[in-house]
Amino acid sequence: MIHPLAWLIWLAAELAVLSATRNPLYLASAIACTAIVLLRLRGRVVDAPTVPLSPLRFGLVVLPLAALFNALTVHMGRTVLLRLPTPLPLLGGPITLEALTFGALNGLALTGIYAAFIVLNYAVAVRALVGLIPRAFFPVAVVTSIALTFVPVTLRHWRQIRNAQAIRGHRIRGLHDWLPLFLPLLIGGLEHAFQLAEAMTARGFAGAAETVPMRRARTVIAAGLLTLLAGWVLWLAWQQRAIGIPLMALGGGMVVASLWWLGRQVPRTTYRPTHWYPRDTVIALASGTAAAAFLVAWPGWDRSSIFFYPYPALASPGFSGWIALALGGLLVPALLIPPTRYLSLFQSAWANRAILKRDASVQEGQAVTGSPSGIATVAMYPSEAAYPSTPTGEPR
Amino acid sequence: MRARLASWVVYLTSATIGVIAFLYPFFSSTLSDEAAMGMEHANDAPLLLTVLIGICFGALLVEAQAQAGSAKMIALLGVLVSINAPLRFLEVAVSGPGGFSPIFFLIVTTGYVMGGRFGFLMGALTLLVSALITAGVGPWLPYQMFTAGWIGLSAPACRPLVRLVRGEGTWREVAVLALFAGAWGLVYGVIMNLWFWPYAVGPQEQHWQPGTQWTDGIARYAAFYLATSLAWDAMRLAGNILLMFVFGLPTLRVLRRFQQRFTFTYQPVEQAGV
Repeated sequence: MIHPLAWLIWLAAELAVLSATRNPLYLASAIACTAIVLLRLRGRVVDAPTVPLSPLRFGLVVLPLAALFNALTVHMGRTVLLRLPTPLPLLGGPITLEALTFGALNGLALTGIYAAFIVLNYAVAVRALVGLIPRAFFPVAVVTSIALTFVPVTLRHWRQIRNAQAIRGHRIRGLHDWLPLFLPLLIGGLEHAFQLAEAMTARGFAGAAETVPMRRARTVIAAGLLTLLAGWVLWLAWQQRAIGIPLMALGGGMVVASLWWLGRQVPRTTYRPTHWYPRDTVIALASGTAAAAFLVAWPGWDRSSIFFYPYPALASPGFSGWIALALGGLLVPALLIPPTRYLSLFQSAWANRAILKRDASVQEGQAVTGSPSGIATVAMYPSEAAYPSTPTGEPR
Repeated sequence: MRARLASWVVYLTSATIGVIAFLYPFFSSTLSDEAAMGMEHANDAPLLLTVLIGICFGALLVEAQAQAGSAKMIALLGVLVSINAPLRFLEVAVSGPGGFSPIFFLIVTTGYVMGGRFGFLMGALTLLVSALITAGVGPWLPYQMFTAGWIGLSAPACRPLVRLVRGEGTWREVAVLALFAGAWGLVYGVIMNLWFWPYAVGPQEQHWQPGTQWTDGIARYAAFYLATSLAWDAMRLAGNILLMFVFGLPTLRVLRRFQQRFTFTYQPVEQAGV
């Protein structure tokens, strides 16, 4: 597995590139890199989450929409396609090819951002995502993992209630008929919460009382927010950039430092920590190179091709081989994802062997012939790893 | 006393920063910064907004979780989120009724009954958990969590209004909550569009002309909103009102009963004076 942090660095680099340039060639290359990574992942993740909307479909909707909207509301550029009557508010005026192009490029960037996040959803297991919640928000992380654990329980409870009511002749004809299903679910869940709270207390979970330094940290956070707001208002309302921006940085720094300090107060142990392998370093470096090529003005580095701008008249975009090469760094995760089919085959064979062994030792005396149960378990085995991502699966 | 003052400062300041952040794309186009008008058509608005919203969200989260320290509150919150979050499956699977989403009903009612901080955590975590289970982690998630959290945080504001119409336990209380939920249904959609608005707007030179007002940006947004989202969000408005009228009264009764059961504290015998 590639480290979640490496994926986050890759995602940050991807977002940096996509927001830094409007050059269609670079945008398309970045999206192509994302697509290849996504395809590689799709072959690999056995228990892929169902994505609400595929990036392709997202792009097919967003691209024309963004182009049309920009063309209708921005009346700049020389290549006039048609003119709408000027009395029309906002829409009236020349419709230009340049505005259409620029809108389409914005849509392209949005599609790329969407695809990059889909990669994150595929690549990082839910458990690892929860593990990324900062330590300062320890109660929030506990609530999140309780909720994720209870989702399958709630769904099972829901099915039980529906069956029980169906036996009593309950049918759903209108909105009102959902009430006999929803209320038992809510009441049962709340009772369950009560038992859970008692079980947690019995096992020694107790919210520590807030100490004086902690309360002080919260006061510092409040002061930091006020400073941040003051700096921003100075900047926006009175154009005092020289005072405003340092004030904003100071306020933001106060908040972040207090959060960091609060996090230090929570001791944390990790069960089965994810290791950082050399390939994670390679991914981080390659992604960093790609982002740096777009964000940093290196001396002697021709960056003019990054700033493609269709106005006033459309021209063909520039292209620099070096920048394209750096952009290829975003492709690196695709090369480093372990070879998929063999690995999963090997894994399932290994799991099958272990399960057959366990079956044999548990059901001693019963013949394990071909073990249909074993095969079924193997098919479901990977879902155990990403357990909360498949809430429809019954906990076994 | 000082702690409460700090809490209010955090709520009000983060609300102000949030409002400015959401309006920023509109008047940034009229802030004729010489530096930003240069050759680099860099669009740093999304980055700045994300950082600011993130800082505000962190501050609010620390503020809200101070209340949820006990095992009872954590368990209650966890289970309520686990009931509410799968409702998003309905929204994702059955994409029939537009922007209708059943999750707001419980966020409003729990915020109203259990208090603002509880409501904030309920809103933010419902969105987080539902995003985790439906593979919906995206750039919109911080905005969703922030806004849904604010729905829960602001729900207790209905209490004085309910007291005014003497509606405790009657349909008048439900009517107030329905109006509140309906209004938020629309506002939620307006705010949710804003995460990509800086991309749709593009750099400022694109529409900066002499005499451009920041209201022009709002006019563009309004046009965009009318064309793409209003019908969608109207379904959310109608759905929230409908759900509140049908499920409101019994749910409030259940939540009140459990709130009494959950908010007891142990007292040592000698302190209790027995």
